[in-house]
Amino acid sequence: MTLQHYLVISAILFTLGIFAVLTRRNAISILMGIELILNSCNLNFAAFSRFVTPSDDINGQIIAIFGIVLAAAEAAVFLAIILAIYREFGSIRPDEVDTLKG
Amino acid sequence: MIVSLISLILLCPLAAFAVFGLLGLANRRFPRQDYLSTAAMLIALACSFLLLREVVPKPEAHTLNWISLGDVTFSMGFYLDSVTVIMLIVVTLVSSLVHIFSIGYMHGDPRYPRFFAYLSLFSFSMLFLVVSDNLLGIYIGWELVGLCSYLLIGFWFEKDSAANACKKAFLTTRVGDVGMFIGMMMLFAKFKTLSLYDGETDGIFTLAANLNTGDMVWLSIAGILIFCGAIGKSAQMPLHTWLPDAMEGPTPVSALIHAATMVAAGVYLTARMFPILTETSSLVIAYVGGITALVAATIAIVRFDIKRVLAYSTISQLGYMMLAIGVGSYVAGLFHLTTHAFFKALLFLGSGSVIHAFHAMHAHGHDDEHAHEHNEDAETEHVLGSEIPSDQDMRNMGGLRHKMPITFITMLIATLSISGVPFIFSGFWSKDKILAGVLGRAMEWNSAHHYILFVIALLAAGITAFYMFRLIFMTFFGEPRNQEMHDMAHESPLSMTVPLIVLAILSFPVVNTLWFNKDYVKPPPQPHLHAPTHAQVAPDTKTGGTGFALSIFGVSEAVAAEEDAGHGTQDAHADDGHHGHGPAHTIAMILSICVAGLGIFLSWLFYQRRTLSAESVATTFRPVYNLFWHKYYFDEFYDGVLVALTVWKARLFAQFDGSVVDGIVNGVGVVTRDILAAFVGFFDNRVVDGLVNRVAQVTWVVGGRIRRIQTGAIQTYLFVVLAGIVLLILIFRAL
Amino acid sequence: MEFTLKTFIFYGFALMTVASALLVVTVRNIVHAAFSLMVTLFGVAGLYVFLQADFLAATQVIVYVGGILVLILFGVMMTSGHFEMPRQIKSRIERGQLLLGGVVALALFMLLLTVIANTPAWKNLIDDGTELPPTTEKIGEFILAGEFLLPFEVVSVLLLVALIGAALISRKEVRD
Repeated sequence: MTLQHYLVISAILFTLGIFAVLTRRNAISILMGIELILNSCNLNFAAFSRFVTPSDDINGQIIAIFGIVLAAAEAAVFLAIILAIYREFGSIRPDEVDTLKG
Repeated sequence: MIVSLISLILLCPLAAFAVFGLLGLANRRFPRQDYLSTAAMLIALACSFLLLREVVPKPEAHTLNWISLGDVTFSMGFYLDSVTVIMLIVVTLVSSLVHIFSIGYMHGDPRYPRFFAYLSLFSFSMLFLVVSDNLLGIYIGWELVGLCSYLLIGFWFEKDSAANACKKAFLTTRVGDVGMFIGMMMLFAKFKTLSLYDGETDGIFTLAANLNTGDMVWLSIAGILIFCGAIGKSAQMPLHTWLPDAMEGPTPVSALIHAATMVAAGVYLTARMFPILTETSSLVIAYVGGITALVAATIAIVRFDIKRVLAYSTISQLGYMMLAIGVGSYVAGLFHLTTHAFFKALLFLGSGSVIHAFHAMHAHGHDDEHAHEHNEDAETEHVLGSEIPSDQDMRNMGGLRHKMPITFITMLIATLSISGVPFIFSGFWSKDKILAGVLGRAMEWNSAHHYILFVIALLAAGITAFYMFRLIFMTFFGEPRNQEMHDMAHESPLSMTVPLIVLAILSFPVVNTLWFNKDYVKPPPQPHLHAPTHAQVAPDTKTGGTGFALSIFGVSEAVAAEEDAGHGTQDAHADDGHHGHGPAHTIAMILSICVAGLGIFLSWLFYQRRTLSAESVATTFRPVYNLFWHKYYFDEFYDGVLVALTVWKARLFAQFDGSVVDGIVNGVGVVTRDILAAFVGFFDNRVVDGLVNRVAQVTWVVGGRIRRIQTGAIQTYLFVVLAGIVLLILIFRAL
Repeated sequence: MEFTLKTFIFYGFALMTVASALLVVTVRNIVHAAFSLMVTLFGVAGLYVFLQADFLAATQVIVYVGGILVLILFGVMMTSGHFEMPRQIKSRIERGQLLLGGVVALALFMLLLTVIANTPAWKNLIDDGTELPPTTEKIGEFILAGEFLLPFEVVSVLLLVALIGAALISRKEVRD
């Protein structure tokens, strides 16, 4: 189990998250994609903490914890916005919410 | 004291006019304007008399800087010497009397208040002119009196003749004023000042006295040009034609403006400019005056309109005064000015009284009267071009002496005065002094053409006596020629007869001659008029006159000393003095009495005894008669030559304007419109608009395309961002 | 590298994570996707364990699975009745979007792989399998008494603000 194993897994998760964000037609699916991306990041932090820094240095893990907290806050705000949008537009399809269309 | 007096004199009439301006125009009419104006004039008169006492010993001047332009400062101020004060008294006195007379004469006129307002304005202007110490002030007053003259001649502007007369008067005098203005500018260009007397800086007189002989031509021209103003204003030849026409105005106006004061302003101006007169300009003035005196007198012989006779008489007498100034008889000229002011005003007011007598018979307002008169004018327009209103035609009068005794007696006194009946009438003294001055000058210079001047003056004096008595005989003696009008005639009311009586008293020499002794009114020095030989009349007259004056007025020693140190020319004119003796004076006096007597006698023969028939004489000397009747064809000349020339010139210019100027303008217009504008329009439409439209179109299309980018879809944006990141990384790796 | 049980379990977790993540982005039913996400999150937690990050793994399970996933499910239920996405991709735009998204994602993935494979410092870093003491105490010291105290407090405030903001935004009626 080398660092590159973790990095590849992380890259896959990241890519899938990006793909979801770009293509899914549901705001909640997009949120899930974002969670995937955040998870891949956290995984990277943990992996680098394990492999690159000395073994008793766990700063990477702490950053990952902060990332999780941020993800929680982000999810809460995101869902609140989705609810507001849903009330306003009756839909949470991102391509239908295009008030800013030129 | 002096300042407050002079302020009162000037401001009272102005205030009276201003009250009309403020109240009268607002309320359409201010009914008691007549009392107001008259009171103002009486105050001014009283102040003038007070001023006389103040100013007698020595002249008084007050000057203020008015406008400063760069180095040049125009001042405003007054200069009071004995002449000024005498003029003030003459003006205020005649004006007051005319005011009082007008209360009766103008009664019932629809523009009654306005008349008095104009009179007040005129009085102010005239007084301002008189007291000004600089040419600018004089010019302002000069033009203001011209304006008042215009307004008052055209007072009954419903009459075409009056409307035309006022325009004629205004324009004709303006011709002279242009000359005067050029003369002023010449003086200004030379001396950089317009004030006449020394103040903080030297005045024109001092500066002119210091000119060297090389500038004499220039100074002569300036003097003659300024005299041009006087020619216009004082109705001298050849600009005299306006004054007879000015008789269209109300008779009090004729008395005040066109006999006593305004026309005399020209004489006054010339007298004021006395110190800068050179030999040449003096000669010009003398000849213009002399010829005017004779020509106007001859014209007056054949007039039938009572006012025209007086008008030509006025011109003639003004010519006399000019002649006096021209030959250097400064005092005589001004003396004649004052005496003439009184007796000519009296004559005019008397004629006004006669006219009023005829007027009043209709017992309606002047309004109807003048409408009526106008029609009559049109009907009876004379074959020879003179219109005479029936109530002014002497051929309708006659035998009025019983009907109007006061008018008759006062007018007779004035006539005796103007005719030069000796000793008890003022006109004799003044006219005599002019004749003496002319003869004295002729003797000094001892050349034939100066004797011609004396002959002219003498002839004019005789003719004056003749036509004035003709007027008296035709009006007051004999049988009534128009019985209907005669029956209606009556003596005028008190307000009109009182001024007549006052003026009649003033026609006696007691008052006038007291003013005009040579120590009270001294001729100013004429540094540029050098007598060729010392006058033979001078020495013996001087001391006697001085002594007399000193005894009467207690004139200071300084004045006498000044006299002694006086210039040679002053000595030469010493016969100006009231008590002048010498051969010139004696000869002149004898001759003047002779011609006056002859004139009166001939007049009596023609018009009273009727031993001689005026008609037969007229037939015998038909060409001469025609010449007189046509007023020497001056009007015809002006109409035929000047007016025609002007009209022809105007036509020519109109043609030029119509063809060439309009052609150019139209051509330029066509070129501009059809070629330039078409091209510019094309360019504008195609190129400029095209460019603008293309830019707009491109922007529109590009914008329409680019707009699509802003899909509003968040995923698209994100896609672009990520694709960009990928591309950038690829690019940087490739590098 | 020998193929031990440990290795086998690691690959199992890795496969579970990747496969479930793939499901998350591909299934039409959004509830199914949410549950796939749960599997992914568990898989990641397992990988944390392999990285000797025991506290992190626990936090991952508690916060993600217990908090965020529940939140997502509530969101799904509160916003739309039909959890199913349209089966057929009808418009060309959608197809294009799918294609372009795939291309970009793939490109990114290839990029990441290139970076991972070509970075010399990351090569040959093998997990030696040394056991670390439980990290909970250490993390607690770092956060509550060490250098991370200030970030911790800031994050707590951020979380508070986010929650209040979320409550405010999602309120039904916004009164003036």
